[in-house]
Amino acid sequence: MSPSKSVSRHSTPSETGSQDSAEGAAAGRSGLSGVSKHQTQAQSDRTLQWDTDPSVLQLQDDSELGRRMHRLGASKITQVDFLPREVVSYCKETQTPITGTTHLSEGECVRCACVRVCVCEYFIIDITQHSIAPSLQELTEEEKQQILKSEEFLSFFDCSIRVMERALAQDSDIFFDYSGRDLDDKEGDLQGGSSLALSRLFYDEHWSKHRVITCLDWSPQYPELLVASYNNNEDAPHEPDGVALVWNMKFNKNTPEYVFHCQSPVVSVGFARFHPNLVVGGTYSGQIVLWDNRSHRRTPVQRTPLSAAAHTHPVYCVNVVGTQNANNLITVSTDGRMCSWSLDMLSQPQESMELVYNKSKAVAVTGMAFPTGDVNNYVVGSEEGTVYTASRHGSKAGICEMFEGHQGPVTGLSCHNAVGPVDFSHLFVTSSFDWTVKLWSTKHNKPLYSFEDNADYVYDVMWSPVHPALFAAVDGMGRLDLWNLNNDTEVPTASVTIEGASALNRVRWGSAGKEVAVGDSEGRLWIYDAGEGPVRTDPVGATVCCWIECAKTWTWRKGSQSIGQGNNQREG
Amino acid sequence: MSAEVEETLKRIQTHKGVIGTIVVNAEGNTTLITSTKVDYAGLLHQLTMKARSTVRDLDPQNDLTFLRIRSKKHEIMVAPDKEYLLIVIQNPSE
Repeated sequence: MSPSKSVSRHSTPSETGSQDSAEGAAAGRSGLSGVSKHQTQAQSDRTLQWDTDPSVLQLQDDSELGRRMHRLGASKITQVDFLPREVVSYCKETQTPITGTTHLSEGECVRCACVRVCVCEYFIIDITQHSIAPSLQELTEEEKQQILKSEEFLSFFDCSIRVMERALAQDSDIFFDYSGRDLDDKEGDLQGGSSLALSRLFYDEHWSKHRVITCLDWSPQYPELLVASYNNNEDAPHEPDGVALVWNMKFNKNTPEYVFHCQSPVVSVGFARFHPNLVVGGTYSGQIVLWDNRSHRRTPVQRTPLSAAAHTHPVYCVNVVGTQNANNLITVSTDGRMCSWSLDMLSQPQESMELVYNKSKAVAVTGMAFPTGDVNNYVVGSEEGTVYTASRHGSKAGICEMFEGHQGPVTGLSCHNAVGPVDFSHLFVTSSFDWTVKLWSTKHNKPLYSFEDNADYVYDVMWSPVHPALFAAVDGMGRLDLWNLNNDTEVPTASVTIEGASALNRVRWGSAGKEVAVGDSEGRLWIYDAGEGPVRTDPVGATVCCWIECAKTWTWRKGSQSIGQGNNQREG
Repeated sequence: MSAEVEETLKRIQTHKGVIGTIVVNAEGNTTLITSTKVDYAGLLHQLTMKARSTVRDLDPQNDLTFLRIRSKKHEIMVAPDKEYLLIVIQNPSE
């Protein structure tokens, strides 16, 4: 190959596309090459044979040639064939069979000598080729067996297995993070109520239509039963004014288990805790009625007399407190009268008391709640927006303290329910017409915190029976909110608006803390599943974390004592 | 396989959280015992060799005795030996 040719190729380094012809017929290039040919030939006489420095040649070309006409002509194309690159692939499956069929193809399973389908755990593999390691080894079954029986294998095995067992038995969860931060990333829920999903709707054409649900209660004996009380149907004056329906979650039927009614609108209802067959109702007229599901009658089996000794105003709260042997039905009406009854004898109350504050004005009670485990002291909410603690017996029987904070009638009241390692039983929440839900402690008479995310009257609130930082609230716009104090105190963790956006009057958690029942103003009873989200595999740890979080939240609250303001200074 | 070995293996396999047990030879090309379908042997062998060489590079008198890899889902424990490798995979959160 002449030096010029090689040079010419080099002199046009940026030329792409067609190759230089061997003959150099391309005029432009050949012209150049021609020149350079002369050049280099001339040069080669003087200088080295091969002066292949392209940059030198470029310069010379430019200066000597100036502007030349490029004569174009056909050029012969040289074809160069590049073979496709061989991609080396490794077949991993040859080392260990992926499916059982490989095992079968070996013949018989060494362990159990079955030929067809083998379900034993260990199968000895015959390695025919192995591409990862450099050397290939073929071992037959016998060879493998030999190895496994050999002295050295046995001694190795003996030692290693000892060590391995100790390692296996070591504590596995060295990563547990007590601060709970770890769980947020893993979406191991301590979200608690991070989602709300509609489970069921209970509605009866005949009995629920045009009636407002006034009260709800879950049965303590049968977690799938719940009772809902309804007030009167204005469109049907001949129908009974007060209705209580017992619904069953367990079965798919859409009709109530039991239908009870009475002559006066029922404004509160509850299962009698220690009498599994009785349902207690408080009515608008002040009568307490008792229904029994053992009798075929739909009307009350017992009712209290309408007398001045009992109630003459609507009874918004009925509650059975005490123990199996010593229990009382406590009822409070809106004229401030609290009566304590024995369910065996409803002809007159065992005791009655006027709830007056400062010996002057009677308290118009709209809600009442007993803290967990307490049968003597309780909390009442009033129409003026004030909350009072009261006690039934003792030297300070009657109203004890006043808690001011709400600017509208208190609609719902709930004492902290969940029982756990930390005692939060002094906490309670209240909801009111002033669009807020407030968190209080019985130890301070100003609210600890005010939740102001609602845009309408908040009609009811209830703590979760299992989760220490979770409560549900319902308002007049049809919104059901779940607040998780461990997550956020500014906005609810989960919120859903029911279909039709009718005002929601009542909310009640199921005893397992998994379901929420909501009653609305159209007579519809909605059951929502409060999704726990993916739960950590360690339920004990999860619960503990939950409580610890709550305790932390609580200590922060006590420290900052924010009253009614929305400042959220948490670092977490 | 001798009955003793088998019995021990079974005991390990039924330990809380254990997903698989593998025995590989020192060169890493023969799996003598396996109870999983996933190919841990080849990969872990390479890793063990690397770990061993690291240990010996840092101190020639030293040698690798045990290798434990903790991941989000599993814990892999390797007990190396001159001739073989015993590998056990465990799910620690069980």
